[in-house]
Amino acid sequence: MSKHSALNTFGRSGNPAFTRNFDNTGALPKTERMTLDGAVNKTAILLSLCFAGAFIGWNIPALAMPSLIIGTILAFVTIFRNPSKAGTTAPFYAGFEGVALGGITVFAEAQYPGIGIQAIGLTFGILASLLFCYKSGIIKPTENFRLMIFSATMGIALLYLVSFIMSFFGSGIGFIHSNGLFGIGFSLFVVGIAALNLVLDFDFIEEGADQGLPKYMEWYGAFSLMVTLIWLYIEILRLLMKLRSR
Amino acid sequence: MNAIFFSILAIFSLFVFMNLGKIKASKKQMDRDDRIKWGNRRRTSFFKNKTTIVEGKAEEVKDDKDK
Repeated sequence: MSKHSALNTFGRSGNPAFTRNFDNTGALPKTERMTLDGAVNKTAILLSLCFAGAFIGWNIPALAMPSLIIGTILAFVTIFRNPSKAGTTAPFYAGFEGVALGGITVFAEAQYPGIGIQAIGLTFGILASLLFCYKSGIIKPTENFRLMIFSATMGIALLYLVSFIMSFFGSGIGFIHSNGLFGIGFSLFVVGIAALNLVLDFDFIEEGADQGLPKYMEWYGAFSLMVTLIWLYIEILRLLMKLRSR
Repeated sequence: MNAIFFSILAIFSLFVFMNLGKIKASKKQMDRDDRIKWGNRRRTSFFKNKTTIVEGKAEEVKDDKDK
């Protein structure tokens, strides 16, 4: 029996965007293959759209909730439908999520002025430092690393889902939202897991470019990176809010 | 002051991402035996681009041999 039988059964990536079934069409012409340049440029396009959306959300915070719902639906469509359509859905996802993040940031800024730019700076700071660590080989993602991140991400998702459902009945899992030591520790853990998901995204993009996957996978890789970055930003914002409220 | 520091951090980090992201990872990262095998998962076949070639001499199959 395989040493990694659990991995083989349940999949390995912490990012749900990597658990879809795709076919590579075989040897492709060089111009139709995924490249690192293409993936980075497409991430830049998505980030620009996200910032444009955030500008709208900042000025019209009422759009935050509908945009969050539409963005989430678009994310699921991109993950579970044909990934070759990521070039169409990912820009809309980035735009709508940007509007949602703009609205959320306005809410946070009203309570704690200056918190938005801190969260943005830390998010991109983590992105750049982890990219350096990955490219230089300081952090080496392995199968066990992927299993660990996958398990932790699924655990966090389950906890949030249970907390969300319990909130309808006037209850909830208190400690994950508290500003006590346990609450801050939990937020730190979640930020750590979200950040380590970036390493998996980098590895996927690097491997995809190395193997010469179809060009549309550049959009898919950029989309995966955006999903993780948006999650990381929200978690950093939550952590900073907890710290500032003490 | 706080805003200026974090703004510079964000811009510098984006600059690093845009430049470093386009560079291939080091050999220390790429040439490892314990790399994640993205194509080995049961549900994904991102990386399955191998063709099956059966080597050997081709022989004509005669169906009427037994008749």
